[in-house]
Amino acid sequence: MKTVLLVRMGEIFLKGDNRNFFIKALVRNLRKALEGTDCTLELTQGRIFLRDIRDMDEVIRRATRVFGVHSVSPVVECEKDMEVICARAIELMENCTGTFKCVARRADKRFPLDSMQINEEVGYRVLSAHPGLKVDVHKPEHELSIEIRERAYLYVEKIPAVGGMPVGTGGKAMLLLSGGIDSPVAGYMIAKRGVQLHCIHYHSFPFTSEQAKQKVIDLARLLSAYAGPIRLHIVPFTEIQQELYQKCPDSQLTVLMRRFMMRIAERVARRTRCQALVTGESIGQVASQTMDGLTCTNAVCSLPVFRPLIGFDKTEIMDYAERIGTYETSILPYEDCCTIFTPRHPQTKPRVDQLEQSETLLDGEALIERALSGIEVVDIRP
Amino acid sequence: MIYLDNSATTRPFDSAIEAMAACMRETYFNPSSLYAPAMRAGEILAEARREILSAVGGRGQVFFTSGGTEADNLAILGAQRALRGRSGNFLTTKVEHPAVLETMAEVERLGCRVTYADVDAQGVVDVDALVAAVDGETTLVSVMQVNNEVGARMPIAEIARRVKEKNPRTLVHVDGVQGFLRVPIHMAREGVDLYTLSGHKIHGPKGIGALVVAPGVHLMPTVFGGGQEGGLRSGTENVPGIAGMLAAVRAFRALPDPAGRMAGLRRRLWAGIRAAVPDARLNGPEENAGHILNCTFPVKGEVLLHALEGEGVLCSTGSACSSHKKSKSHVLAAMGRTPQEIDGALRFSLCPMNTQEEMDQAAEAIGRCVNLLRAFRRR
Repeated sequence: MKTVLLVRMGEIFLKGDNRNFFIKALVRNLRKALEGTDCTLELTQGRIFLRDIRDMDEVIRRATRVFGVHSVSPVVECEKDMEVICARAIELMENCTGTFKCVARRADKRFPLDSMQINEEVGYRVLSAHPGLKVDVHKPEHELSIEIRERAYLYVEKIPAVGGMPVGTGGKAMLLLSGGIDSPVAGYMIAKRGVQLHCIHYHSFPFTSEQAKQKVIDLARLLSAYAGPIRLHIVPFTEIQQELYQKCPDSQLTVLMRRFMMRIAERVARRTRCQALVTGESIGQVASQTMDGLTCTNAVCSLPVFRPLIGFDKTEIMDYAERIGTYETSILPYEDCCTIFTPRHPQTKPRVDQLEQSETLLDGEALIERALSGIEVVDIRP
Repeated sequence: MIYLDNSATTRPFDSAIEAMAACMRETYFNPSSLYAPAMRAGEILAEARREILSAVGGRGQVFFTSGGTEADNLAILGAQRALRGRSGNFLTTKVEHPAVLETMAEVERLGCRVTYADVDAQGVVDVDALVAAVDGETTLVSVMQVNNEVGARMPIAEIARRVKEKNPRTLVHVDGVQGFLRVPIHMAREGVDLYTLSGHKIHGPKGIGALVVAPGVHLMPTVFGGGQEGGLRSGTENVPGIAGMLAAVRAFRALPDPAGRMAGLRRRLWAGIRAAVPDARLNGPEENAGHILNCTFPVKGEVLLHALEGEGVLCSTGSACSSHKKSKSHVLAAMGRTPQEIDGALRFSLCPMNTQEEMDQAAEAIGRCVNLLRAFRRR
């Protein structure tokens, strides 16, 4: 039984002097993700091995979700002795059918055979033991890898992982998490680039319910399976919505509301040392996400706003959400009460000067201060 | 907290909780086992059957199920299976609980004809239309005793009498989940063949209910296994659940005039609401089963529900079972209410332990919340 998993890092290898910084972060995140599985982690010559694994499937499931991991392979580890290597190779290929080839890598140059010779010898022995198999060096169905390092390592399976960069190496950002389909996907994409996430959610009780809030907490938890621990800031937003509704022109309500959300997000971002805001917007998806709409919401903040879904179709975003496992939760129907504040005919070409004019009708600063003082913080772990 | 969602579920009586705990601690035996201690478990079942029969004026048998839904399924599908491929048709109303309506939909898929009778603007079934649909092949008529959303009482005795006059072989099934112990029933006298009841609506535990079956009525099982419950409902009996339900039935029957008390509370609540919100509108009959008050407010029901939740008053939109779905109440729709009226509907359901002070406080909170939310309607 295989108890060792080889973990490959992708892009990290392209890094120069900072490589160790990235590897350290990856090791730390892997350790956190594997908590409770009792396996040990070993870092040698730029490779990560997980050893003493009891539940291989679970370890694979968790390790392949850690950003910075490119792929994993369950490996057989043995002595650097051709007899032993061949015997293990024969066992490993037992359940394979069709074509294969051997791919040897000799990192330890003291080993008497070179890579080509290892390929020939192991290939010959496997073929003799399993007459049903055939060699195909161009397009084999299975690749039997043999690596000669401090010990010998053999593997056939190569399971792709999420890729990306280790979370924490790319700084911190504040995700506007709504409970819909898009924002969790946007958060996933940014976290994949090594960015640690904070989330901010706007809660309009009683116009949105406790279930809607719980749904957002659930989404943040699903996200944290990839992105690691997440701090979620829940902002009371009822008063702002009511003020806007009572004092401002109907057609501007959505964009004005978005501007308040961005302002509050930026304040909380600065407080928590986040360097950017992240939203799930995509051009033209809804009335407030036209280019004019985006310009108006962008105008109220000075931090960069990342919109990783900007060029995605709704169906593409839905596919992505299904793949990362947030779709089912996102479509739970809890928030339609907010439609009370959604104009029937929203402006698709709002203008900043007109919005600013409307905002003079409110005491925006006091509203923001009160919202900030009522924030509820939820710390979420995978 | 003022709990006004007793038609969704009730808080169990302490005596029911204690009966269940004692049963699990001491009488945990399988009633089918052969040694003496197991017979004590069997005695609990026998006592519960006697208590239930006496409460519903029944003479036949009591079959324990996992609750009201399963009992409804057993009555309808059990009768359909007993046809053994012969043709039959089924009758019911448009305002039944999904436990009946969805089972009827399955009966249709199995090839039988099902007729759904209309209700009037108060939610009471049109008995003439229902009876007109009875013919020589009508297998079963299923009508609820009390509608779960608006509290309308169905004229069960009249329906049973007129159905049997037209076809004496037609079975009459009554879904009594919202009526059991709160509205009197006498199965034998009224000519009811099958009666569904549930434990957790009368301050007993969840996961237990029963189908009472009159003598001579033949059903086929829909669950197969060890042959418990006379082979009609296999599976080791839920003895603690039954013990809890037995204790709840006894405690409920010992209450002094629970129905009259709840009807009085309901009147008081409605008067309070009308005073605070003059444009609130009652859904269902002015005088109904007594424990359900459904009204439409000039604001969105779901928002009002959460606002009331913020004030410590718990109620529901439509019925709890359908609140998760986005579909509108089929009951209010059948009563001819507009989508906007349905959108503003809330249900307050009472229990005998509610008080007049709670009604007054709830009405006051409703008035406060409605007037606050009135300002925020989608423009």
